[in-house]
Amino acid sequence: MKSVLSRFAQMLFVLWVVATILFLMFRLMPGDPTAAYIDTTFTEEQQQQLRAAFGLDQPLWKQYFIFIANAAQGEFGESFHHRKPVIDLLMEVLPNTLVLTLSSIIVAYIFGVLVGSWLAWNRGTRAEAIVVPTVLTLRAAPEFWLGMVLLATFGFGLGWFPSGGANSAGAAYGSEWSRIFSSDFLHHLFLPALTLALYLQGLPLLLMRSNMLDVMQEDFVMMARMKGLPEWVIVLKHAARNALLPVMTAFAIGIGQSIGANVVVETVFSWPGLGRLLVASVAASDYPVAQGAFLLIAAVLVLMNFIADLLYSVLDPRVSHGARR
Amino acid sequence: MSETKTSAPAGLLLDRRRALMGGAAALAVSAVGVSSAVAQQAGDRIRKIIINSAAQAADPQEFQAAQLVAQEWRKLGLEVEVRGMPRPQLSDLVWFNREKWDTTMWRMVGRPERSDPDEVVYNLFHSSNRDKGFNFVGYNNPAYDSIAEKQRRELDLSKRKALINEAQDIIMHDQPYFFLVYPKNVAAYLANVWKKESIVDQSGIGIRNFWTFTGAQPVGAQKDMICNATESMIALNPLYISGAIDSWVTDLVWDRLMRVGPDGLPKPWAAESATWVNDTTLDVKVRKGMKWHDGKPVTLDDVIFSFEAPAGDKSPMYKPFVSNIAKMEKQGDDTVRFTLKEPNASFFTATLSKINLIPKHVWEPTLQKIAGTPQTAEQQQEAQPIGSGPFKVNRFKLQEEIVLDKFADHWAAPKADRWIMRIVTNTEAALGMLRRGEVNFLSDYRGDPKLLEDIAKQNKDVVVASTVDMGFRFVAPNLRRPPFNDVNFREALELVINRNLMAQAAWNGFAVPANSHVSAALTAWHKPEKFTPSLDAAKKKLQDAGYRVVSGKLHYPAGVKETMTPN
Repeated sequence: MKSVLSRFAQMLFVLWVVATILFLMFRLMPGDPTAAYIDTTFTEEQQQQLRAAFGLDQPLWKQYFIFIANAAQGEFGESFHHRKPVIDLLMEVLPNTLVLTLSSIIVAYIFGVLVGSWLAWNRGTRAEAIVVPTVLTLRAAPEFWLGMVLLATFGFGLGWFPSGGANSAGAAYGSEWSRIFSSDFLHHLFLPALTLALYLQGLPLLLMRSNMLDVMQEDFVMMARMKGLPEWVIVLKHAARNALLPVMTAFAIGIGQSIGANVVVETVFSWPGLGRLLVASVAASDYPVAQGAFLLIAAVLVLMNFIADLLYSVLDPRVSHGARR
Repeated sequence: MSETKTSAPAGLLLDRRRALMGGAAALAVSAVGVSSAVAQQAGDRIRKIIINSAAQAADPQEFQAAQLVAQEWRKLGLEVEVRGMPRPQLSDLVWFNREKWDTTMWRMVGRPERSDPDEVVYNLFHSSNRDKGFNFVGYNNPAYDSIAEKQRRELDLSKRKALINEAQDIIMHDQPYFFLVYPKNVAAYLANVWKKESIVDQSGIGIRNFWTFTGAQPVGAQKDMICNATESMIALNPLYISGAIDSWVTDLVWDRLMRVGPDGLPKPWAAESATWVNDTTLDVKVRKGMKWHDGKPVTLDDVIFSFEAPAGDKSPMYKPFVSNIAKMEKQGDDTVRFTLKEPNASFFTATLSKINLIPKHVWEPTLQKIAGTPQTAEQQQEAQPIGSGPFKVNRFKLQEEIVLDKFADHWAAPKADRWIMRIVTNTEAALGMLRRGEVNFLSDYRGDPKLLEDIAKQNKDVVVASTVDMGFRFVAPNLRRPPFNDVNFREALELVINRNLMAQAAWNGFAVPANSHVSAALTAWHKPEKFTPSLDAAKKKLQDAGYRVVSGKLHYPAGVKETMTPN
């Protein structure tokens, strides 16, 4: 319990550091937020008004304290650009991002674990010679290229899937839930999720494979063989369970990492998500949105790390024993 | 903030560079020897000139154009560097650090209200805008100022035209901008969804306009107009000028007393007529029977309120457009009398076609609520926006799409059932969507126009329209910094720019050469002039003005010292 609390305190500290760096980073970046309003009728008076409205006329230290105090209460302020609360903007796209990230990462890890185990078991066969380079190629291929190929083939080529967006034009739903579980949404989700999954599957697959190869040298596998257990029972019940641990950690951290890193896939598939919002807000010097989005991503990342730690100590008792000693 | 940030190192740099330059010049003179006689007649060597531009990835055409300009200027003996940077950074440098740059690529974009030349003629070059306004090049010519002021007050069309011509003549002579091209707007639609004859090509704007959106007639069962936009919407607010894409929507949801017609001229819209009583008094007869989207009638009080609301400090962006109104009063049951502070020739276009009519019953309580707070009307996003325009808002998600329904009670109800705009961030995908009918009106296309034309050749249902924009692209020299303060120098620089090449090579043929701040698209106002680029003429111009080429490098006239450093 004590270690959990100290881990939690560490988390808060990390988030505070991230928030501070974000605050300074955006204010030191070249580009004035009022530059977005430059127009033939833009006057000095308007600029001063904007700066005051954005709170940029305050001294930097004051801006910082306001920002930290608000952020601690989950309040990210108001977007310079959209003139609405940052939290509303984030919440508008967060469900899309979560669904895209979670669906692709779950598919990628299930696929990776199964195929990784299978490959380890078939070491040195022709299957390995084909599958491993294919996996590496998909992992190394640029996401936008992969996305464009899939889009051009199955999207506007064959017409099996829509060419972008999260829903058909003008489709109406009673609630956010009914939208997300509609067949229309899933139809739109397929290609972007597949692109992301193809990109993500390399890590769990190769990790699983190498872990399995290690585990298969262990005595208990030999023991199982000697007991005359069927091969699939040995692979799934004995070897795979033990090889799964590092993959679980990678999974938890992977969720955190990919939540804001979908910019490319979101752009290719016009998917209304967090990554696009983030890029647009940085380009427009919309500090509050950029800070809020980055902080949200950092929070998820830190939280997932924390969960991975906890998970590890549950799955592998040696970890918590080690800590206690 | 940025000034204090850069001034210290810039100062250091200046000293070091001066020392280096002095040394280098001495070395060059002693080494060359032969040209010492020429060198004695020449002033300091002109520093390296930097052309600031948007980054290549952000705007390939602009960057390419900058490269072409640099290539020509180098032939005059100048050392030129093109420096690409993100647009926000470029705006920051040009706008807020007016002493610190030499030249920059820049653009004016076309908008319906710019169909009247007042905005470009006055705001771009009037000296009052030099320090903080749009006259960021620092142009200062009292003769020009006086014409710009006069044309604004001149209500006689032919007299005003003569003044606008004169203004163009002065700019052509003084070259405060090096004009490059008027780009063409490219858009496309599916002819099997929309009747060709119902698509309107608006002068200086293109087919993506109010008249097309409200007038397009469906051919068959598909009655939804599905358009695309490359960027997210920013807001949907009749008191906030938030962005180009947002303006397509506000145009449809909120009516105005007048609208800029397909020919570029303002015509009565929610007004039945507008009649000048004298130079500063205007009677506007308002159309009867109009309704707001919530069913309430549009009243004269609403109309007056719409022009009063931006006048305070709650809608700073619309404020300049109503600041010339002294008072408004009702005349009978259908007329509003506007009294202006001074005569204004562009009042129909710049004010009556610009100000959104807003319901008093919605906005008065909102404005009262925020009175005395730092909040402005720009932050007040209506959950269900209420206008009186031909389309009403069904729902919208800024990052995703907006769905407008036809407002059947409108006196000019649209032919389409719904107008839907999808945010499509991938240009290739947008083309794919057009081919498959996922969008049936390609309203925002930023890719290669040739590609679109090729698609149209393969698919007869795809119709492409390209229209000369009323906006223009140019290189802006900083007239505060020598040698750009010398008109001879500027003329020479202008003489070597090959605009035809520019239009072909940088804009792939989808642009026409530009010579004036009043676009060729404004046929009633534009003054054409033929340019013949000539390196020899440019060299002669420089020679005559005292500039000398020493060892291939251009120097100031004798006795002139270099006082600036490259930015």
